[in-house]
Amino acid sequence: MSAYNKLTPELARELETLVGPGRFQYGDRVKEEYSHDEMPIYGRHLPEAVVLTETTEEVSAVLRFCWEHSVPVTVRGAGTGLVGGCVPLCGGVVLSTARMNKILRYDLKNLVVHTQPGVLLCDLAADALAHGLMYPPDPGEKTATVGGNVSTNAGGMRAVKYGVTRDYVLAMTVVLPSGEVMKLGKTVCKTSSGYSLLHLMIGSEGTLGVITELTLKLIPKPLRDVSLILPFANIAEAIASVPAIKLANLDPQSIEFMERDIVDSSAAFTGTPVFPTVVNGREAGAYILVTLVGGSEEELTLKMDRLGQVAQEAGAFDTLVVWTDNLKKDVWAARSAFLTVIEAETKLLDEMDVVVPVDRIAEFLVYTHDEAEQQGVYVRSFGHAGDGNLHIYCCSNDLEEEEFKRRVKKLMDACYRKCTEFEGQVSGEHSIGHAKKEYLRESVGDTAYGLMGAIKQVFDPKGILNPGKVCHDPERGWDAC
Amino acid sequence: MTKLDYRDMWVFLEQEQGQVLPVSLELLCEARKLCDAAGEKLWAVAVGELNANEAEKVRACGTDRILRVTGSGYEPFSVDAYTELFTQLCRKYRPSAVFVGGTIRGRDFAPRFACRLPTGCTSDATELVYDPKTGDIEFIEPAVGGKMMAVITVPVMRPQVGTIRPGTFRYAPAGERPCELLEEHIDFPAERIRTRVLDYVPNEDDESLNIADADVIVCVGNAVKADSLPKYRELARRFGGKLACTRPVFDRGLLPFRLVIGQSGTVVKPKLLFSFGVSGAVNHVTGITDSERIVAVNKDPEAAIFHYCDYGVVGDMDEVCEALLAQTEGKG
Amino acid sequence: MLNILVCVKQVPDVNLVKIDPETGSLIRKGVPAILNPHDENALEAALQMKERYGGFVTCITMGPDQAEEALRECLAAGADRAVLLSDRAFANADTLATSYVIVSAARTLGSFDLVFCGKESLDGATGQMASQLAERLDCSQLSCVEEILDLDERAGTLTARRCLERGFETAEARLPCLMTVEKSRYRVRIPNLKSWKASRKAEILRFDSRSIPGLDPAQIGDPGSPTKVPRTYPPAVGQRGRMLDEGSTEKTVEKLLGLLAGEH
Repeated sequence: MSAYNKLTPELARELETLVGPGRFQYGDRVKEEYSHDEMPIYGRHLPEAVVLTETTEEVSAVLRFCWEHSVPVTVRGAGTGLVGGCVPLCGGVVLSTARMNKILRYDLKNLVVHTQPGVLLCDLAADALAHGLMYPPDPGEKTATVGGNVSTNAGGMRAVKYGVTRDYVLAMTVVLPSGEVMKLGKTVCKTSSGYSLLHLMIGSEGTLGVITELTLKLIPKPLRDVSLILPFANIAEAIASVPAIKLANLDPQSIEFMERDIVDSSAAFTGTPVFPTVVNGREAGAYILVTLVGGSEEELTLKMDRLGQVAQEAGAFDTLVVWTDNLKKDVWAARSAFLTVIEAETKLLDEMDVVVPVDRIAEFLVYTHDEAEQQGVYVRSFGHAGDGNLHIYCCSNDLEEEEFKRRVKKLMDACYRKCTEFEGQVSGEHSIGHAKKEYLRESVGDTAYGLMGAIKQVFDPKGILNPGKVCHDPERGWDAC
Repeated sequence: MTKLDYRDMWVFLEQEQGQVLPVSLELLCEARKLCDAAGEKLWAVAVGELNANEAEKVRACGTDRILRVTGSGYEPFSVDAYTELFTQLCRKYRPSAVFVGGTIRGRDFAPRFACRLPTGCTSDATELVYDPKTGDIEFIEPAVGGKMMAVITVPVMRPQVGTIRPGTFRYAPAGERPCELLEEHIDFPAERIRTRVLDYVPNEDDESLNIADADVIVCVGNAVKADSLPKYRELARRFGGKLACTRPVFDRGLLPFRLVIGQSGTVVKPKLLFSFGVSGAVNHVTGITDSERIVAVNKDPEAAIFHYCDYGVVGDMDEVCEALLAQTEGKG
Repeated sequence: MLNILVCVKQVPDVNLVKIDPETGSLIRKGVPAILNPHDENALEAALQMKERYGGFVTCITMGPDQAEEALRECLAAGADRAVLLSDRAFANADTLATSYVIVSAARTLGSFDLVFCGKESLDGATGQMASQLAERLDCSQLSCVEEILDLDERAGTLTARRCLERGFETAEARLPCLMTVEKSRYRVRIPNLKSWKASRKAEILRFDSRSIPGLDPAQIGDPGSPTKVPRTYPPAVGQRGRMLDEGSTEKTVEKLLGLLAGEH
């Protein structure tokens, strides 16, 4: 076993010829933004070089080169991750897919789209809609790349009806660490053909290979949709309504929850108070936001009636109907802006992306708030009530960074322990990166964690791809890092 | 009576604290050109006092005649009084056109007296052209959110009334010429005034919000991320300038309305304008065309803004802004 | 009880309108029609007045049959009655002809104490309707109202704070009064299910050119519109500026700063 090599000026010059001068940064030309993602609390690590590849062939050439010289490679999409997944812990090369941003072609008969990985989710979604189709995965971060979405198996707000990114990936082109190009999957909907390497790649966070092309499944755009806001006295009552909503045969496209705090912050930040805070004379403490789809207004009206009944029985103050385009735009823009709002009003920030059984959400949130209070940090939370996926942000504006980290560690240790106790998952859609490695290990156990490590070893025996992430420990496998 | 019986073009002199507003002088300069093309005379219509200094400025714009109206009911400003006054004056003197500054007051009373006469009224033209064949003025204005230009005319009725936004036209006095003074005395009965000002509190004088006279402006468009704003504010500071934005940024609640550049906001004339993440819709562009130099940054190489700039950079706006900050470290 | 009129308009969401690059004409297909956003604020102001002082809110619009959808939105939010003025003869109207039709119809509905309308429409954007409606209704007008402070029914006056170019004015207006309002305090409410459902089934009062008594055909539609639009054209695009690309952002910015400094 040998250590990773540094990218010497000679090697850098050689690497540059593989992509051309306009798409290469080296040394002090490397931009600061490549050292972190949207959660800088996990530390900054600058790469030695950045390459902006445009084709599969270029990716292959870059990987072959790095493989030969044992230089680590970390793939980066839009850098919107929250667990340090694209941060080059061991330096080396950052391979950015930002320029691989073409939607290649639609196959309208088979309802698929072929796309490069650097296409932004918002661009793909809008383009599909223009073709009368919908790309169902709908993570809150619309400026992430689809390649990043696949690598993290991103979920999003519509997962409760349509499933997650994994369910929409039919095929992909992958470059292995050695530079070998491989096609996985086919443009058909069924397969029973051996181990699914395709599904191994999905959610592997750039540790097994580099995705250079994707074939994604689309569905016909729903004819009509409506969103409904259910205001409740508090989060416990709000969450308690979710199982009933799910049982009511409404097949909702999303069931989101939000606490009053985040709604207030959002209103203050955007200057646009979208969610009413006083409903029928009562102060709302939490909200459930449900989106229903259907083929006609009649169908939707029937569903809304049922939802209204369930909501009333569950103690909602009222059922508010977001029907017009103007209102939908406002409501969903406010919902999508939550993270931006938190980032803007918070100096120090860390997050959890746990999944717990739907009937334990409220309990978990209460526990988290109590623990946070003990640690002297405050919590903002929202998330996908329909599938138990909670986004919990631990914030502070007055602690020193080291002290904050110490306290948040205590808080998170407790919360992840609680999550495991509830039979939950460490991450629903933000992944592991290097930030949540230890929690993953605790959660899945040594045997499963060891199997993951072994799989990594098979794909990437030299450990050059995104070292130090998910289940990989550069300290153990390698002498120096 | 046909439209040929209506002659001469009028500009209403809106005054505040004894001073003629710049928009009225800009309109005089532009209307002078139309009068030259039409062979008509240019009138300035003042209500109340017009002090010697201001009259001098008005004459310098090539005004042929000043019509000064005295009488009760016009101070403080009242839509009721001004509507009736202009109705009467137009009926008596039959001007071919009446131009009114597109201020809140102007936009309140001009369409109203046009309705009372009745005649056609247009608003927000960015270009005025006299058509010698028809004798009509073409009011050219951006339409459908600036995606089209529309030519509006009033082919039969007179006068042709138009409100024009401040800053649309250049203040370029054509020079003094013989100017006649005409006086009218018309009272407006107090009991017909239906609104009364109880109180007025001027805005606190926040100089950073006054972008009309800024020498350097950093303008951010809808592509701006909320948390990136401090960067652009700092860039503006480095260059001794001010931060401004496009309308959608105001609509998102990120910056106050006074910082909006464009047709429905402020028209600016800086020496240097940085434009970040601005697509270049006409409504906005009409507010920046008098800038001496424009640097445009947009990630879309096809963005319309590149057709209006002196220097264009295709790229991520935040990245370019950071690079500018890095390379101007210690400035400002 | 206050009798309140809200004048609204259905507009294409112009942000989504595109230009056909070949013909230069507008592509309206697939562009959703929405209630003019400023009219939502007008509606909300009316509803707040109704809640505070008691009243009856009528929403009125002139437009094609589809404009009914905009009226239903008003009903859902809490308007009591909706009126659609629809007739081919109304087409191509400018603000003078439109205000004539609306006020002619409104007169048959009673006399109004308060009238609200949006400060301008998203598509036409002339901002003239408020003044011309006020003129035809022969009422006082207050534009840019930030907040209605008080209404004295006995004295027949209201006071409001207006947001002007360089300050805030508190003004008193005699009723009837027409107002345009600012956005901040008057964001339209989200309807509840009951009210939304009622709005979908509610009857909409309809008028055409024959059912509005005494309507003068010479004052409606195209014949009644003194302003005409003889032509439209795509905005002129100037020559592209000098595009800078030195390979990296740093170098490009360096070049740019050099150019800016050199020309000083």
